[in-house]
Amino acid sequence: MPHIEVDGKRIEVNEEGFLAHPEEWNEETARLLAKAEEGLEALTAEHWAVVRFIREYYMEKNLAPMVRKMCQATGFPLMKIYDLFPSGPAKGACKVAGLPKPDGCV
Amino acid sequence: MKEGRLRTYEPGDNVQRFLDLLGRRITRSLAVSMTACVHCGLCAESCHYFLARPDDPTMAPVWKADQIRKIFKKYIDWTGRVAPWWVKAGSLRDDEDLNRLKNIVFGSCSACRRCTYNCPMGVDTGLLVRFTRGLLTELGIVPEGVFNVSRDQWETGNQMAVTEQDYLETLEWMRDEVRTELGTASVDIPVDKPDCEVLYTINPREIKFDPRSIAHAAKVFHAAGESWTLPKWGWDQTNFGLFSGDDKLGAYVARNVYEAAERLRAKRIVISECGHGYRSTRWEGYNWADYDQKLPTESVVVTLKRYLGEGRIAVDPSRNPDAVTFHDSCNIARSGDLVEEPRWVLRRVCTDFREMFPNRRENFCCTGGGGLLSMAEYRPLRLEVAKIKAEQLRATGAKLVCTMCHNCVDGLNDVIKHYKLPMRVVQVLELVSNALVVPGRNETKKTAR
Repeated sequence: MPHIEVDGKRIEVNEEGFLAHPEEWNEETARLLAKAEEGLEALTAEHWAVVRFIREYYMEKNLAPMVRKMCQATGFPLMKIYDLFPSGPAKGACKVAGLPKPDGCV
Repeated sequence: MKEGRLRTYEPGDNVQRFLDLLGRRITRSLAVSMTACVHCGLCAESCHYFLARPDDPTMAPVWKADQIRKIFKKYIDWTGRVAPWWVKAGSLRDDEDLNRLKNIVFGSCSACRRCTYNCPMGVDTGLLVRFTRGLLTELGIVPEGVFNVSRDQWETGNQMAVTEQDYLETLEWMRDEVRTELGTASVDIPVDKPDCEVLYTINPREIKFDPRSIAHAAKVFHAAGESWTLPKWGWDQTNFGLFSGDDKLGAYVARNVYEAAERLRAKRIVISECGHGYRSTRWEGYNWADYDQKLPTESVVVTLKRYLGEGRIAVDPSRNPDAVTFHDSCNIARSGDLVEEPRWVLRRVCTDFREMFPNRRENFCCTGGGGLLSMAEYRPLRLEVAKIKAEQLRATGAKLVCTMCHNCVDGLNDVIKHYKLPMRVVQVLELVSNALVVPGRNETKKTAR
């Protein structure tokens, strides 16, 4: 199983760098994924607002939310999401929130 | 097997089902590709898999194609019955063999057709690969990612299972964003409006994860005074039938688009920047769907070129001062014959456009083509052989790499991240939208990227 090592900790991920066991996600994992995969040294309150929403949405519907829903829930304009997560909503924000890779051309 | 008689199989007899399908589906052009290869090796030199792993013969297109050819020779072609050792006929024994075949045709080929383009005998290895994928897909021997997306396209009419409500809401949202940006309520993103000049069809990722491109399109259509609409159904121009080799799925998805245009009496179909969607909707879909399509179908880049050529939109290239290089999508340049149009547009909207080498129909794949982006299991090999693409990108010295394919956007982003290149991926619409001069608008305002 591929894995990433960050701050001396080891996280199992799939080939795309998404969490191998999405159910094992916690805030520590989010911080480590953000650092290793998105180059974010620290997660701000704004990052957390997006990540928590995605996580709750996923736990409820077993589905990645559309970027429209992320913006509605957090009140952020669209561009803010790309500013916060350099790889964008799918490969950035959803990854930090511990979701599996969304299906399709992403 | 006689016509009209139902053949039954023992459960799990995948080999026999595969061989029967192979015999039934073989066409003249496939038979040529099955028999014309002289093993000259030119295809190897054109394949980024082989160039990145020159000591591994299994990376050569000829070897990959031989794995289906030897089955054809053994069971279908008469030469295999007369001289099997001479034509290298080979058995297909069990599920293990089928699985190995799956890993070859899905996992070690992005179906970019660069080898096809360079074959002196006219062997279409890309066609062989897609054909073999189609046989395996029929048996359910298919990577999970391709399966999931195909299921979503069958069930919901779009590859990301976007609901109609979500689709409409996102379009309204983007309409409001463009209204705010341009400071006018006259901007619209119409849905299901009849008798328009343009029926605009998109990639579901634009709705689900990146609607900026819809805003760019709306802005340009507004500036050009275009009469345009998106359809409420039949808006997904992408087509996983191309990747899975399933012509039935290909027909269903393409027909949705053609019928939307007919229903709304649109004058032409315009396809947003998507490589495989362009090839599927513009070229392959008519045959899959057996559809007598009379409307012109074009890429939005062709539309942009027309607007610029006719003076319907004005641009200021100084707003795109960074060095831009262009990445030809395989499905657009090699398989779609759309090569000079994007360059014509880029030279007018950027100040520093530079080619990468090789380019045009000889360009290397982004490495994510043929549906590989949705097959996580093959990613390590994909990124390893991407070193060819990375070197090609790095040599341009450009800050931006522009492509007219969403799949290439993600494929190139993966290469850039993995090989730590100082580049960003953009699309043609984004650069045109950036450079667009809209009359009466406060031009000091920073344009949205």
